[in-house]
Amino acid sequence: MKRLLVVDTSVRVLYHSILVLSLYFLFAGHNQPGGGFVGGLTAGAAVSFRYVAGGVDEVRKAFRLRPWTILGGGLLIAVVTAMVPIALGGSVLEHGDVEWDVPVIGVLKTTSALPFDIGVYLVVVGLILMMFEAFGDDLAVDDEYGTMGVGDALEADSVDHDLGGLTRAVDPELHTRLREPGDGRP
Amino acid sequence: MSLLIAFVASMLVGCGTWLLLQRRLSRIIIGVGLLGHGANLLLLVSGGRRGTAPLIGVGDAADFADPLPQALALTAIVITFGVTTFLLALGFRAWQISNDDVVEDDVEDRYIARRAQIDREVADEIEAERAQAAEEDRR
Amino acid sequence: MFVLLALHLLIGVGIVASGDRLGRRAFAVAALAPLATVVWAITQADAVLDGRPVVVEVTWVEQLGLGLDLRLDAFGLAMVALVSGIGFLVCVYAVGYFSHPKQGTARLAGLMTLFAGAMLGVVMADHLLALFVAWELTSVTSYLLIGNDDRSPRARAAALQAILITGTGGLVMLVGIIAVGHTAGTYRISELLADPPSGGVISGGLVCILIGAFTKSAQAPFGSWLPGAMVAPTPISAYLHSATMVKAGVYLVARLSPIFATTGNWRLLVLVVGATTMIIGGLRALRQYDLKLLLAYGTVSQLGFLMLLFGTGQYQIAQAGVALLLAHGAFKAALFMVVGMVDHEVGTRDIRELHGFGSAWSPTLVVGVLGAASMAGLPPLFGFIAKEKALDGYVEHGDFIGSGAIVIVIVIGSILTFAYSARFVLGLFGVFGTDDADPRSRAAHAPSVLFLAPAAVLTVSTVAAGLAPVLVDRLVRASTLALQPGVTPSPVELWAGFNTALVLSLIVISTGLVLTAYRVPLGRLQRRASDAISWIPSAEQGFLACLRGMTDGSKRVTALVQNGSLPIYLAVIVTVAAVAPLIPAVSVFPSLPKLIDAPIQIPLGILVVVAALGAAVVRRRIAAALMLGAVGYGMAGLFIVQGAPDLALTQLVIETLATVLFVLVLRFLPTKWADRSPAIARPIRIGVSTLAGVSVFVMALVSSAARDDVAAPNISEEMIARSAPDAKGNNVVNVILVDFRGLDTLGEITVLLVAAVGAVALARTGRRRLIPGRREQGHARPDQGAGS
Repeated sequence: MKRLLVVDTSVRVLYHSILVLSLYFLFAGHNQPGGGFVGGLTAGAAVSFRYVAGGVDEVRKAFRLRPWTILGGGLLIAVVTAMVPIALGGSVLEHGDVEWDVPVIGVLKTTSALPFDIGVYLVVVGLILMMFEAFGDDLAVDDEYGTMGVGDALEADSVDHDLGGLTRAVDPELHTRLREPGDGRP
Repeated sequence: MSLLIAFVASMLVGCGTWLLLQRRLSRIIIGVGLLGHGANLLLLVSGGRRGTAPLIGVGDAADFADPLPQALALTAIVITFGVTTFLLALGFRAWQISNDDVVEDDVEDRYIARRAQIDREVADEIEAERAQAAEEDRR
Repeated sequence: MFVLLALHLLIGVGIVASGDRLGRRAFAVAALAPLATVVWAITQADAVLDGRPVVVEVTWVEQLGLGLDLRLDAFGLAMVALVSGIGFLVCVYAVGYFSHPKQGTARLAGLMTLFAGAMLGVVMADHLLALFVAWELTSVTSYLLIGNDDRSPRARAAALQAILITGTGGLVMLVGIIAVGHTAGTYRISELLADPPSGGVISGGLVCILIGAFTKSAQAPFGSWLPGAMVAPTPISAYLHSATMVKAGVYLVARLSPIFATTGNWRLLVLVVGATTMIIGGLRALRQYDLKLLLAYGTVSQLGFLMLLFGTGQYQIAQAGVALLLAHGAFKAALFMVVGMVDHEVGTRDIRELHGFGSAWSPTLVVGVLGAASMAGLPPLFGFIAKEKALDGYVEHGDFIGSGAIVIVIVIGSILTFAYSARFVLGLFGVFGTDDADPRSRAAHAPSVLFLAPAAVLTVSTVAAGLAPVLVDRLVRASTLALQPGVTPSPVELWAGFNTALVLSLIVISTGLVLTAYRVPLGRLQRRASDAISWIPSAEQGFLACLRGMTDGSKRVTALVQNGSLPIYLAVIVTVAAVAPLIPAVSVFPSLPKLIDAPIQIPLGILVVVAALGAAVVRRRIAAALMLGAVGYGMAGLFIVQGAPDLALTQLVIETLATVLFVLVLRFLPTKWADRSPAIARPIRIGVSTLAGVSVFVMALVSSAARDDVAAPNISEEMIARSAPDAKGNNVVNVILVDFRGLDTLGEITVLLVAAVGAVALARTGRRRLIPGRREQGHARPDQGAGS
């Protein structure tokens, strides 16, 4: 697969813009449409651009962390956020809020719901990275059963599917036995 | 809530069910997707009338659409996506192993079904053991 | 009392655990448990016989009224005398019997102790559920005892049959116990006795309880297991099948009859079954050549007799039952022991191979003859007294319908009993010995003193109780009082004057003598008669047919229900899920809402419906996936119209990603699929789909109309109201997700994590091996271009 310059360049630009947008969704979500789910999915869309440009390796380059690290880290953050109030004597997921007076920007108001939402965001991003990790390779070539083309597939289609391929692959003897007429006992 | 939305939801569920009853895993996955859409729509219309987006400070709170079914549906959308991912992995794996993505009948269950005609365990066991005992007596 | 039960458990488990190391000494150890019980019972006897039962109550679950309530009254004492007294004697006898212990002999001793403990539990329990537990324990231990010789196919078959029949009966009984206990509000027998309940449920429950009792006591038509169980070694048969286990059913009937005899069909059922059993058992005993089987069928007959005596609920007759219970325990155990001695010394129990014994055997033969005489009801033995009492009770006090017929049944049954008792004695003396058989019995070794002693003790007690009934008088009377408080039982006497019962006894004896004298032609007649009715299935054949039907049926049901086809399972599930809500929904069907809310809904709706139909029918995988994507985009539009921007946003991004995902995966699969032999016919699939659609349509209408009716303030309004002040957020949907319903979201992202890990695991399996070191290299190849 050849890389196209025009795709490469535009993806570089788009990727970062969409990533910023996703962060905006994440942080603005408490007050406007958006939130952790939408933000995470938007980031996932950005990642898919990277995939279009350069396959799984490009995706891996985009995030220095492994997908499962992101996934697990997100869940961990969410769980910790939920549990901290217990340590402070409250109940699960009890929220507090903080206001900062930042010089240039103005008053920043945030609540402890934000870290929770960040956890959600990371889980969703992790899910999409996992998805590319799972299916993004040139899978048919890597397959330990060798390359499978459409021709094989059509041949496989002709198997009596009631007792079809899976049985044959997993337990050839049982497969033969069951396809024989008679009582099927060994 | 309108008749049209109810009809759309019922069509989605109907088509989804039709696909669910197929043997091809890829069709079943599409069916699950359609069923998910139908369920989300049903959830949403169960909230009653439509309204403005439930954003405080934007419009009158009395006109808001019910936010609770929306939150539920949002969760459902993402979960459906996760399930679809998993099902696709399942289909992919089935394809790797058997060159096919057909959902087969369970072989063990078939085997049990056949056994119904061919053996009659306990009573036969008792009788067989009696016969064996009689055999030993004769010797 | 708990200490005694624990002692049985301890000794039993200890012996079983020690394996074969103890050999026949195991029985000497085992004898300790019943001995201790007997000693304890004697110390308590005085108080108990005066009507002051020993009561121990342990509460377990107070709210359910569950408890381990033990109660020993006089009738319980009589049963303990049988269970532990005979138990002790059998243990002593077994030491002599197992002179050459085989593998598993010691285990028998352990199991027998466990069984004795369970049996004590049955007779001591006052709480019906505790009784049931002990009852089932006797079934299980007797299964192990019968099948102890696990290499013998016959023993295995007999044990299996015994536990299937008694176990099934036990389960039916449990149903009955719960029905009775629940309706009456108490499970305590003593409380039931004080305040008898009645009603339809009680009558039904009583039938169930009776079935349990009938199976346990080998009544017709459940009696087929008892003769089979004779494969067990003779000491076990002597114990289980003369004195204890088979008496459990009789015991239960005896306990409950005073309470329930006039409720429902109790008395009718007990009398019919008991009478049938008594006659059939007697007839079959007459045809046996195996001494042990003869006794087994004799036991079946006597158990029927006991049912007749206890089932009436009349204390005068029940009193005879108590006497017969004791008498039968004594003489039947002694007779079994005699058969065991013959078997042990001669090597056969077949009366055609016995040709009389040498003079050293005289004591043994005396024991056998006296036992058989007591069984036949000859004076002046205990058996005679019991039978007199029974006849007298029925003749003088049987004031219910059918009591006259029962007298005739008892007379006929007693004649048969006399006849098979005579057959037993004649067989023992070698009258049936055939010429071609080896006359080895004449030269057989006589049993040792220890071997004979237990049977001799039993015989002495039989004779003593016959000659001096005053010895047992107090026990019998107190037992009758315990069964039915407030009555005045008459004394037990050898000579009760010249009455109808005596005349009947004379008839029995003289007819029995005639039958014995003409036994050869009668035997031929009986054989011909039984051949003539051989087309009637025996209980045995019925049992096997039932078993076969059950295993067949269960497999057919399994094959039908668990057919292994995913589409069929799904069709069933969807149909149920669609029909179930329709039924209540139709009753509250609202008026139809308006057709559309906004004009833009029309094109969006059309887009969604057309794309959905397309996804359902196209034959290209990628095309179907794109159609699904189109449905999703249409949905996003509908969400905006509905006033849900968050949903719309999510849906849009998800749809994009999902389409990418589908393309990624589906590129490996062939573009088209071929349809082949669907699991379900097309019309049915269309029907199920339509049903699901219609159901959703109705649900949508009903639920949205119901939502409009909800009175303010509803939960959503409260969420809107509290969103800004409490959660510091203006987007109510997001506030719900991360705050109000945050725990749900936490659960959801956990599900996502699991799905993602599962998907990666599935998709990457089998690829790792081909690319070693890939995990390490994955991130270290930043300069390489496209995915390989």
